[in-house]
Amino acid sequence: MATSAQTLGSGGTAEALPGERPPLEWVGYLFVALFAVPFLIFNVAPVFFGAYVAFTEWSIIGTPEWIGLGNYDDAISDEWVWVAFRNVLFYALIIVPGVTVLGLLFALFVNKSYPLSGLARTLFFAPHVVSATVIGLVWVYLLDTQYGLLNAVIGALGAPSIPWLTSSDYALVGVSMASIWWDLGLAFVLILAALQDIPRDLIEASTVDGAGPVNRLRFIVLPHLRPVLSMVITLQMISTLRIFSQVYVMTNGGPAGSSSSPIHYIYTVAIVRNLYGYASALAILLFLVILVATIVQRFAVREMAS
Amino acid sequence: MTAWLERRGMTYGDAALWVLGTAVALAWASPFLWMVSTSFKYPADVLTETIEWIPRRVTLDNYIKVFEYPIIRWTFNSLVQALTSTTICVFFGAMAGFALAQFRFPGRAAIFLIFLASLMMPVEVSVIPMLLAFIKVGWASTYQALILPTIANVFSIYIFRQFFLTFPRELIEAARLDGAGPFRLFVLIALPLARAPMIAAAVIIFTLNWNNFLWPLLVVFDESMKTLPVGIAAFAPVVGTHTQLEGYSVAMAGVTVLSVPSLLLFFFLQKYFIQGISQGGLSQ
Repeated sequence: MATSAQTLGSGGTAEALPGERPPLEWVGYLFVALFAVPFLIFNVAPVFFGAYVAFTEWSIIGTPEWIGLGNYDDAISDEWVWVAFRNVLFYALIIVPGVTVLGLLFALFVNKSYPLSGLARTLFFAPHVVSATVIGLVWVYLLDTQYGLLNAVIGALGAPSIPWLTSSDYALVGVSMASIWWDLGLAFVLILAALQDIPRDLIEASTVDGAGPVNRLRFIVLPHLRPVLSMVITLQMISTLRIFSQVYVMTNGGPAGSSSSPIHYIYTVAIVRNLYGYASALAILLFLVILVATIVQRFAVREMAS
Repeated sequence: MTAWLERRGMTYGDAALWVLGTAVALAWASPFLWMVSTSFKYPADVLTETIEWIPRRVTLDNYIKVFEYPIIRWTFNSLVQALTSTTICVFFGAMAGFALAQFRFPGRAAIFLIFLASLMMPVEVSVIPMLLAFIKVGWASTYQALILPTIANVFSIYIFRQFFLTFPRELIEAARLDGAGPFRLFVLIALPLARAPMIAAAVIIFTLNWNNFLWPLLVVFDESMKTLPVGIAAFAPVVGTHTQLEGYSVAMAGVTVLSVPSLLLFFFLQKYFIQGISQGGLSQ
């Protein structure tokens, strides 16, 4: 339907009178401006302002003092910066594969029209629509060392309890599990949409040709999913590098910084220590890391494809 | 059993997979059941070593305790923020999307590309300077601080431009011949036919606003101006003391209050959520 309307639309009048172009509609600028003005003020300007603030020493009281690259110097010798960036690398290594693989498996399952697969789709996506506060608090409770559901299950299997959020060995893993539960919905829906785009005849033809489920997955389904998987990995990686809310609610970065993240450290520097210039410089560093990671990941996917 | 499977074209292998997958789906959502169930338990029943999915004895005490905190005020703040911001964003986004799809003016392709490219712009870089600016202007802990930075969500433009690209041009031409100006055209012809993208944009942007965490956490310094997610976050044992004092049952009552609106919105408008998200996501 969409395509037919489009051909009708463009063929209807614009090309009906050859050589005669319809007049320009300057009012279009006004229509766009209502959105563009707040966009420029609140989405674009702060980025440039932030790049400037990063070169200054600025607490709330007083005026900014230009210190050049001083904030970046401080960042390199700040041990907590290294801890936060190392942690976020581990977060990405756990959460990105977790979300991608589980999202793919769940989407493959729901894509078969089994009884109740509509319900399964609803259940898999549901955690994605609630707030970080819900995710964090529910998981703090699920992961409670003494009374949590997860340790009850582990205990039933005869294994000792694990101090998920109160030990510096496990806190990052605990927060990652909650994050996978929260983030999976998006990956799941995107992969499912791509699966439903695979032409039915292609699948049927391969079945007639005697391809088993494994070969069908390998030679037909997965190649078709490559673009969407690449996108899911990029989106998830960017959002994981920006992890904050669930960290704040579940562990507040602790114990002893073992689950902190760059944005969590930026938050602490700005709100607790009032160092706005330093916080802005850290944000620029995080942005550069995200940019490099995105480029490397895109490049790697292209290499693998060829 | 065999007949039942045959009617559905399923083999025994399919059936095993189906049972496993359905069990995983139920387990995936079980934390919500656990949350709601705990919120109705007596504190003494929460800390049992055995798992009780359905509470033995039911109480509303936890909800009464939750409402001793300024929950109603926080809900009001969240609603003011999310409704205002979503309305403005959807309406201005629809206007801009309509113009970018249907009006002929120089630079419209470039303008759309700039909007799209801004999706890669670093939120983490803008949030600290914006906070600084709002504090300097004296707008910390105000509604304008909660609302203004969230009104220009590019997702809205994207979804409406996609929709209006396939909008029948004859309708517009006919209305023009009847003497309709661009604004009447937009309000009387385009908007009434754009119900589906409007609901999709509205539910998704409303949910994003309702759940927004970092910005309201940063810009509000006043207990009475907190939004619901930030207010309830004080039940987290590491950043507040409520849970140490009251136990998990009260915290679960708090998060139930917070999550029910989003979950209901999702259950009833699921189709729009999933369409909107897969369209919006695939754009990036």
